[in-house]
Amino acid sequence: MESASISAGHAAGSHDHHGPPEANQSSRVDAQMLGMLLFIISEVMLFGAFFTAYFFTRVVNNEPWPGDGNELPVAVAGVNTAILLSSSFTMHWGLEGAKHGNRRAMRIGLLATLMLGTAFLAIQINEYVSIGFAISESAQTSIFYGLTGLHGAHVFIGLTLLFFATTRAFRGHFTEKEHRGVEIPGIYWHFVDVMWIVVYTTIYLI
Amino acid sequence: MTLAAKFKGPGWYRAALSIPLGILFGLGLTVGVRALYGYDPLFDGDAITTVALISTPLAFLVGIGCFDYWFYWAAGKPTREEDHSSHGAHTWKDYFKVNTDHKVIGIQYICTTFVFFVLGGLMAMVMRAELAAPGSQIVDPNTFNGLFSVHASLMIFLFIIPVFAGIANYVLPLMIGAPDMAFPRLNALSFWMLPTAGIMMVASFFAPGGSFATGWTAYAPLSTETPLGQTFFTIGVQFAGASSIATALNFLVTIITMRAPGMTFWRMPLLVWANFTTSLLVVIATPFIAGSQFFVLFDRALGTDFFNAAAGGDVLMYQHVFWFYSHPAVYIMMLPGFGIISEVISTHARKPVFGYRMMAFSLMAIVVLGFTVWAHHMFVSGMFSWLRVPMMITTMLIAVPTGIKIFSWIATLWKGVIHMTTPMLFALGFITMFTLGGISGIVLAVIPVDIYVSDTYFVVAHIHYVLFGGSVFTIFAGIYHWFPKMTGRMYDETLGRIHFWLSFIFFNLTFGPMHLVGVDGMPRRVADYAEEFATLNALISVSSFIFGMSFFIFLYNMISSWRHGPKAAANPWRAHTIEWQVSSPPPIFNFDEIPTVVGGPYEYGVPGAQHAIFKATEEKREPVAAE
Amino acid sequence: MAIYGLIASVIGVVAALWIDWFPPAAVQEAKDIDTLWDVLLIVSVPIFVLVMVVVIYCVRAFKARPGDMGDGEPIHGNTMLEVVWVAVPFVIVSVLAVYGWIVLDDIEAKKPDRLQVEVRGQQFIWRYEYPNPTGGKEKVKSYDLVVPTGRQVEFNINTDDVIHDFWIPAFRLKIDAVPGITTHWRATPSEKGSYDVLCAELCGLGHSTMRGSVRVVAPEEYDAWLSKTAAKAAEEG
Ligand code: HEA
Ligand code: HEA
Ligand code: CUA
Ligand SMILES: [Cu+2]
Repeated sequence: MESASISAGHAAGSHDHHGPPEANQSSRVDAQMLGMLLFIISEVMLFGAFFTAYFFTRVVNNEPWPGDGNELPVAVAGVNTAILLSSSFTMHWGLEGAKHGNRRAMRIGLLATLMLGTAFLAIQINEYVSIGFAISESAQTSIFYGLTGLHGAHVFIGLTLLFFATTRAFRGHFTEKEHRGVEIPGIYWHFVDVMWIVVYTTIYLI
Repeated sequence: MTLAAKFKGPGWYRAALSIPLGILFGLGLTVGVRALYGYDPLFDGDAITTVALISTPLAFLVGIGCFDYWFYWAAGKPTREEDHSSHGAHTWKDYFKVNTDHKVIGIQYICTTFVFFVLGGLMAMVMRAELAAPGSQIVDPNTFNGLFSVHASLMIFLFIIPVFAGIANYVLPLMIGAPDMAFPRLNALSFWMLPTAGIMMVASFFAPGGSFATGWTAYAPLSTETPLGQTFFTIGVQFAGASSIATALNFLVTIITMRAPGMTFWRMPLLVWANFTTSLLVVIATPFIAGSQFFVLFDRALGTDFFNAAAGGDVLMYQHVFWFYSHPAVYIMMLPGFGIISEVISTHARKPVFGYRMMAFSLMAIVVLGFTVWAHHMFVSGMFSWLRVPMMITTMLIAVPTGIKIFSWIATLWKGVIHMTTPMLFALGFITMFTLGGISGIVLAVIPVDIYVSDTYFVVAHIHYVLFGGSVFTIFAGIYHWFPKMTGRMYDETLGRIHFWLSFIFFNLTFGPMHLVGVDGMPRRVADYAEEFATLNALISVSSFIFGMSFFIFLYNMISSWRHGPKAAANPWRAHTIEWQVSSPPPIFNFDEIPTVVGGPYEYGVPGAQHAIFKATEEKREPVAAE
Repeated sequence: MAIYGLIASVIGVVAALWIDWFPPAAVQEAKDIDTLWDVLLIVSVPIFVLVMVVVIYCVRAFKARPGDMGDGEPIHGNTMLEVVWVAVPFVIVSVLAVYGWIVLDDIEAKKPDRLQVEVRGQQFIWRYEYPNPTGGKEKVKSYDLVVPTGRQVEFNINTDDVIHDFWIPAFRLKIDAVPGITTHWRATPSEKGSYDVLCAELCGLGHSTMRGSVRVVAPEEYDAWLSKTAAKAAEEG
């Protein structure tokens, strides 16, 4: 097995001091960016699986939604939607700041996004506590908790990523040229936002 | 290194510490939550196991060191120079560490998956022993159900899918002239999730109530009601699936952004094309099986009603979601093999692949069509009856792009200079046996026939013709073909041929008669069967034992050749693709200098044609391929 | 090569048709399905033989002589050929699909005046309910399956627990018993005798033991059996 690592050209033992050749960049898209986009595609499909469950119960089997006697707090969730939506703007603001070398704007934008996102989660958890039906009551309630919970988990992941970005922002990373660490969590955050609009529309509005 | 440093740094010492911590965490969390809500009893074995099954693998991954760099990054520490300390293997011990070198990861993948192949195969041997005669032989029905469930799950999720990822991991970056994969650390994480998933599935045999026993399809509501072992599948699949999504994403990004100069899409070897299309399938489809298993997990652990018909749940929804992944999954298990066969046939028949562009287009056609046929597994499931005929038509149309591939390979052989090496033998075995399996697939797609033969041994025969005669034969072809490149040694050709002929003959004797018993009315997934099937089943069992034994020859050949085989030249097959233009095994960073691609990958017979050149070498006028 | 291919195809087709694939058939619908199967064999065998024969021919004709280090002819493709091997399989599968569809319609055709039998699956046994011979609403319950010849029977299938699959090989038809819905299949028994009833969907521990039998009898005998069973059931209350 040792032989698997012995290279032809170099003397054994010397290869630690020498790195790989620079890879050829064969696409205009940046690798990290592309990776995030593909990841989002698979995330969309995961939501797709949950929406299939929703579709079968609500459309195919025509079950009452959200189940007999259950009420969804449309208004509160609407306010929450506004909160999450505005966090997309603060995110954009922060990223613009990073791009233009405006550290203050970047930090404030990131912090504001973090706070809005946390507020969203807190309101959602409060909603769970006071909603008056349990996850195990019926297929409808299972799907309600399933979809909103899945989305909540994504908000949590997004917040974690943003938390890292914020930490780094305050520790002096990111420059006009090098701001991928803000941009990529940002894309994820926008995805989480857009996904919420779909979830809100299907679960609460129609 | 001091002992304390050993426990602090990434590796097995730290993993040995973190695993119990993971278990404790699962225990603490469950008991804590139950205490909070005042549940009784406080200690619930099923709940604790469920949480521990998630927390322990994660703890292991942290311990072994998959996340060290990211933690460092996340904490916002100052950027540090990449020191390549976890890149490449210097001793055999390095293969047991978290490594970022795609070649090391490739070998790790291949060896690990073959371990699971042997385990899954041994389970098949026990099954065959049980089925050798009607009545009860050596295992009870519950164990039997567990055996074929774990057998299939290991073969599919821990062998076929990841071994292709392993082979591609090794050769794909070399083939496109990239120094490594796009995300080496993610690559390492993908690998380390695998053994976790596999061990979980095997360990389910030790769960109270036995292993999961609902087939690899785990249909609800059976899977929401069976004992604890099922949870091992439900969660194990999530790890295997996450691993496979991460790898696919990595392949896609590598192929799109890291090709050598001059390597246009239409100059990529077909193995690269095959993995490109497969990865698309994985990224789009795999989340669906994750979804299906989440539902099962929630129904089991949280008491949700996704599959509780009495509370508005829909049982058939499981099957739609499951097959929306698992049909594309059968192409995930086949397309990389198509890629391997294209490489092997053109190289060993010394001819350009016939209809190269059509070969790439047909891969894409299979990807697109593959998403439109899932319900052909549900013709007898009681689903919407209007959906059956459209699904029959799309399913049968897949014969067209697949036929393009089969016929193009044959046309590649035509007027070639065919070297009957072991990889070539397996490639030819694949072409013929996969055609047979594919045709039985077409037969299954015809609804009135499927209504009769669905859930019989006819389907079992189809499965093994496409998966063994198809996928596994391509894997053997690929392993033999790239063995010199991976190990720097030649395998033993005579043993290779004996391995081929024994497996080819006894493969057919094992799985061929299954068509007969199936159509004669023997259902699948039964530990016991009617007298009239006794003769053929005895024949099947005996053949399967010899078939299993033939694997020893392969194993012996691989191990002894790796240790003592004659040294391999850089390019023993005189192939044109880039992986053969570097030493065997390749240098630790693949290239001193990125090659430049100047032509197609298979220009055999075209005088002076070259696929790729190394500028510096070219200037010094040294021969590219040392023969 | 063409000659060999032809001979091999003919032998293959003859052998495939000679094999007695199916268990005995007991319903009218079986004939359609068995014929469809034969047609599929007649189409499939030559395709497989074609691939085999060309591969074997190539291996024999183009095998490298010892020491031959040359390359084959650099043929990159042939549009004509490629069009053919796209078009021909396309036509074949289209024709087969249409044929399959027609057979499907035939075997699923509903006949008026069919006998309704309720089938209930439960781990690990089948139960049946027949229309009451006295015209009452109460169904006649039994663990035996008995059906008359010459009249279409519609099975309405249900389950008490997990998914099962109601399969009578001699009738050629099967369908899952799915929690929450009722599934159906219809067949017209024609041959008297006793045949196996199987469960074809994994339903747990006793799946392989979930076997029973069906008796196909003359209509008079069926009526007599039903009255007797109904009487017995009434007696037991
Ligand atoms: C590698 C894996 C693999 C592959 C590639 C395939 C390929 C195909 N499969 Fe298979 N299949 C499985 C793995 C695979 N399958 C498994 C594991 C199951 C069982 C799951 C379970 O229940 O546990 C299954 C089950 C299965 C069923 C459901 C059976 C049932 O449960 O009732 C059906 C039905 O339509 C089917 C059809 C097909 C078809 C039409 C193809 C086609 O893609 C085949 C196309 C290829 C050819 C046709 C041959 C080459 C073509 C030519 C030479 C051209 C000329 C040919 C003609 C004109 C016909 N498969
Ligand atoms: C890639 C996939 C793959 C592979 C390679 C195999 C390989 C084999 N399979 Fe499997 N099989 C499936 C996928 C696969 N199978 C699937 C998806 C199902 C459906 C499950 C379900 O219903 O849910 C199935 C189901 C299945 C059944 C039906 C079970 C049932 O429905 O009741 C049977 C029965 O004979 C069987 C047999 C075998 C045999 C004999 C082999 C052999 O090829 C194995 C050969 C390999 C070895 C034996 C291991 C290596 C050998 C050694 C280490 C030497 C030691 C040998 C001896 C002791 C003799 N398989
Ligand atoms: Cu009931 Cu299997
Ligand atoms: Cu399929």
